[in-house]
Amino acid sequence: MISYMQLSIKATGENAQVVSHLLAKNPNNIYERNQKGHLVRMFYTKFSETEIEATIFVTPNTFEIIKTSSSKNQMTNYINNREFVVSSIFCTLVRPSLGTALNGQPHEDYLCWVNYKFQFEFSFGPVVSDMSEDKILELFEPLAFQTEIMRHETTMFINLKGETTLQIGLRQIFLLIPVLDNYKHYYIDKKEIEKVERYGEGWLDKHPLRDFILQRSLRFKEVFQNLELRSKKERRVSLEDFRHEKIVKLVSCIEPRNSIVDFGSKDGKLSLRLGFVKGIEEILAVDTSQSLTLRAVKRFEKAAQKADFITPTSTWGSLVYFNEKLLNKDVMIINEVINNTEQRSPKVFETIFNKYKPKMLILTTNKINYDWCRDLGVNYGYSNSSDEYEGEMICIFSRNEESV
Amino acid sequence: MKLQIPHTGIVLLIGPSNSGKSTFLKDLLMKKVIMTSEVVSSDDFRLMVSDIDFVELKNRSKDESDALQDLYKRISIEAFALMDTVVEARCRLNKLTFVDATHLQHGDRKKYIDIARRNHVPIVAIVMNIPEDILLTRDSNRDQPRGIRRVKQQYLRFIKERKSFKDEGFSLIYYIDEYESPSIVRRKNPLELNVGEGIDFIGDINGCYNEMILLLSKLGYRENDMGLFIHLNGRKFVSIGNVIGSGPESLKSIIFLKRHVDNNLAYMVDSSNGFEIANWINEETKSMNIAPKLASDFESYKIEYGIEKLEELKEELKQFLFNSPSHYVFTENGVQIAVGTHAGIKDHYIGKQSPRISDFCRSGDNSSEEWYLEHKTNLLIVWGHYLKQHPLIENNTVNINQGAVYGGNLTAFRYPEREVVSIKSAMNYSGEEKNPLIELESKRLVPPNIHKLIDGYRIQTESFGSILVYPDLVRHAIETVSHSTIPIEQMVYIPPTTSPTPYTSKLDCYLEHPGEAFDYYRSNGVSTMIAMKKNMGSRGVLFLFKDIESAVKYTGIESLGIIYSSNGSRFFEEKVERILVSRIVSDLVENNYFKKYETDFVLIDVEIMPWNIKAKEQISLYSNVSESAILDRSKLMEKMMFLKNPKLQGWIDEYNAMLENAKKFKKVFQDYGVQDEEMGEIQIESLYIIAHSGKAFFDKPQTWHIEMGRELASYSSLFIETEFKLVNDVESETGVIEWWKEIACNGFEGIVIKPDLYINDSELKIYQPAIKVRGRDFLRIVYGMDYLLPDNLKRLKKRKTSKKQKQAINEFSLGVEGIRRFVAGESLERVHECVLGVLAQQADQVDPRL
Repeated sequence: MISYMQLSIKATGENAQVVSHLLAKNPNNIYERNQKGHLVRMFYTKFSETEIEATIFVTPNTFEIIKTSSSKNQMTNYINNREFVVSSIFCTLVRPSLGTALNGQPHEDYLCWVNYKFQFEFSFGPVVSDMSEDKILELFEPLAFQTEIMRHETTMFINLKGETTLQIGLRQIFLLIPVLDNYKHYYIDKKEIEKVERYGEGWLDKHPLRDFILQRSLRFKEVFQNLELRSKKERRVSLEDFRHEKIVKLVSCIEPRNSIVDFGSKDGKLSLRLGFVKGIEEILAVDTSQSLTLRAVKRFEKAAQKADFITPTSTWGSLVYFNEKLLNKDVMIINEVINNTEQRSPKVFETIFNKYKPKMLILTTNKINYDWCRDLGVNYGYSNSSDEYEGEMICIFSRNEESV
Repeated sequence: MKLQIPHTGIVLLIGPSNSGKSTFLKDLLMKKVIMTSEVVSSDDFRLMVSDIDFVELKNRSKDESDALQDLYKRISIEAFALMDTVVEARCRLNKLTFVDATHLQHGDRKKYIDIARRNHVPIVAIVMNIPEDILLTRDSNRDQPRGIRRVKQQYLRFIKERKSFKDEGFSLIYYIDEYESPSIVRRKNPLELNVGEGIDFIGDINGCYNEMILLLSKLGYRENDMGLFIHLNGRKFVSIGNVIGSGPESLKSIIFLKRHVDNNLAYMVDSSNGFEIANWINEETKSMNIAPKLASDFESYKIEYGIEKLEELKEELKQFLFNSPSHYVFTENGVQIAVGTHAGIKDHYIGKQSPRISDFCRSGDNSSEEWYLEHKTNLLIVWGHYLKQHPLIENNTVNINQGAVYGGNLTAFRYPEREVVSIKSAMNYSGEEKNPLIELESKRLVPPNIHKLIDGYRIQTESFGSILVYPDLVRHAIETVSHSTIPIEQMVYIPPTTSPTPYTSKLDCYLEHPGEAFDYYRSNGVSTMIAMKKNMGSRGVLFLFKDIESAVKYTGIESLGIIYSSNGSRFFEEKVERILVSRIVSDLVENNYFKKYETDFVLIDVEIMPWNIKAKEQISLYSNVSESAILDRSKLMEKMMFLKNPKLQGWIDEYNAMLENAKKFKKVFQDYGVQDEEMGEIQIESLYIIAHSGKAFFDKPQTWHIEMGRELASYSSLFIETEFKLVNDVESETGVIEWWKEIACNGFEGIVIKPDLYINDSELKIYQPAIKVRGRDFLRIVYGMDYLLPDNLKRLKKRKTSKKQKQAINEFSLGVEGIRRFVAGESLERVHECVLGVLAQQADQVDPRL
């Protein structure tokens, strides 16, 4: 059994002992609760009229964590520091034990203390974060916490001092721990995210790092996910789109263009567009990825209902293997496949030029590879032309008539 | 009169009621010449389906009689349907069946002729040629007479049909008169031969007489006074055809074969060349190109012995060639175990004869020479005709035509030893411009066909049976190969995974312990083991060539060598690799390694240190984990101790132990140290020398591999020697256990225990090629720092290793097979099939902590 992290809550001053009622934990007992197989534990280190300190921590069941890890065959999956450091997982496990405090629902005799500001000192760790110390300070200081970061080699403890209510103090911590963590919250479901959102009420909107906090803590909330990804995708897509458009335009004026091979068809976007080009009678979408091919097939099925669409045929293949279905086609497109030729053997182009023998080959690649393929093409009786765009080449090889 | 009856097929009795068909069969049954299961009769089947075997129509009203006739018809239809099914099943199984019915209608006979033809078995007719008056007399004497009208009708039909029997397609027709009481002689299957003292199959000779004699000598045949080659142990040789061809001495070769066959010392099957020559001698074909020298050989023969002798010879040879069977089936204790055929055979042809079968065996399948992919049984089939550079062992078939006539090899396959013996031919005799052997070599590196792999496949290993490569796993592997591995021409071997001990330790405070590894090997009959220190490195493969020309010859790639990981990806970035490779190669060249071992390349299974080359990220993660854990635990301890609350004592004890664990954990990986990726730090430990030109070394003992490793270390400072201990008795076992404990405290992962010999030859048993036993503290970084806490250990001891073990054995077997194919110079496709199989095994999910 290993401990996750710990959170200490210390209150001083008059009436400090009321905090135990707000926490709804008897200071004379030690507390233990089994949460999804892990043990959430709490005990008091100090308890007097004017000073109270409680520590809550998790003794997790390591084996449970291993069982749920998703990817395979990586050492990193069975040793990871998730178990030891402040994390969103910790928050998820501890939250039910601190429910009374977080929701501000103690016994009715103490309801009036919910909004009472105590002199608090929250201390938690170990913390491992990709954020700089300055940034961490920027996170807590606007909340009127006097913030102290104690480093221990690569990890740290964070100490927050300030006057606040227990409810708001805990809510802020529970919302900001995942921000520090920046961990992909695989274990947090939607409901919990909504809870986290609720914790931001009344203070988050005024926080100078509001957007940053939302992005990092709520990256799985669809709105933010989409917001964040869209801008990235747009850039990527535009280049991909540009390339596809260029290829489609090229193919539209090639004669003949009855049969097309889309090598490395991935999820079928290019093949789909080619399906609408007049004069094409057969499109072979070639890839080795099962999941991408599946997506491509779905894409084609959807488009098949539209008029004038030639449904591409998916077939297994890559430049490493031979597939006799690709022989002697009018146009072969190798788009964004050849990026690292040094890994590949020259056999690849021998197979294309000498075996598959397309009438026309369209290749997108970088400049270095282009020089290399150009020479090969000449040897097999192909003449070529090319076009450059943002360091990428679109090259066209056409088979000379006499070598047919 | 004695009727010759073949060993298989249909014997159709033909004749009206009362002609004596059943009586004839009853007599044979009584004399036990045939078995009851070999006779089917329509009467029996009528009885079986309807409880009725005879319908009496006499003294019935017309309505009754009509209804009964309808009933009889229906019963007959059912009875015959069932009977025909039985007859056909027996034909498929190559059994003999006597069919007892009148067979007076043309359609009835044609039905059985078709069944026989369909199943490639003969059909014999026994016609009961009995005069009408005798039939009538016999009918009046029987219990249930058919009646004069019906007998007369049947006789008339018989007379009418009798004329056409001979043209209907029977293999043989016997006519039995009323005076005769014939008996039968059952022939044996002429295709079946006993293995006897052993068989040596000889591949396509094509007139290479000298090579044939050399091969027979190598096989242990010695010439006697009569010029006959006889094996001391009584073995016989079997030519799988094409004795005549474009080689120098076709006539001499075929005369040699014929003499040995005549003297019961050898056998020969029909073949494409044999058949063509027979037809040519028969003057059915005018031109003949396959044996250009044969005509002049005949001419010389004529000059020497005269025209009469020549004609005699030609006639003899023609008969010899025409009469040679399509194939032979060899049996041992009455069980079929091996087949010799020229170009191939289908499973359902085996042991049968027909023009279609002869055609297939002679010339193979027109559409594909890969007929052997359809072979499903355990019967060994030896074949030739199609030229293969190397004996092709696939699906329980062996191709032994290695193109002696083109300067290749004349191959023999010894049975039951299953050994290949060959003679390199003196030259390319064919005189053909395009040498097909060279053409094949140029095709060796063509890319593998994806359709042969993508849906999964079965690999027939020579030593370990067949291994199935599952489609979903192979698709993962194909994707990997298409995107992230080194070129497949260089990726000829992937090291197998190493399993931990099959059982966890019996001792209380250990998860893994060497004791279980010793037990495992001892229970598998291994008496000598080697314990090797397991360095903290990453498994890899070194494939190094003596020069660029050699590299191009084997891989088609201009590169002195490559270093890759056990998942097929490049180990170092290319710049580093190039420097390392050229350094090692020049070290080896300088020390005459390649010359000494007469090899163009060396393929080595290695461990590359330091560990952090591949695991820098992991180490920083571990350090982070340990610091966090120590911090967390010590802080909690501090707080709990401060309180002196007796209620907390349980937690304090727990955390005390856990803090200790965290500290031990920190020590484990700290000892492995983080070093910079500078080449000065790189060390390579040679684990196995996998192969040299033409040779694989899986049969060498572990001690040999260690010795070779030592030699490499003496040539190149990049190599280090392996630390090891021999285990062969209780004392050395105890020593190794102590050593293991010591090593594990010094920053090593643990030890690996290997059998001195990979394969137990005498029992042909496969066991784990190696078993790892990791150190007690090392396992903390695998199972977590607290894995030794009693509850955790109890759970861990239930771990299952069977899948991992299966994986290790499969990967090892595929590795051995792939290398066997590679050193034999087989095609890229055939080698890659095995490599891809290993990658597919890797794609199968197994607990990564094992």
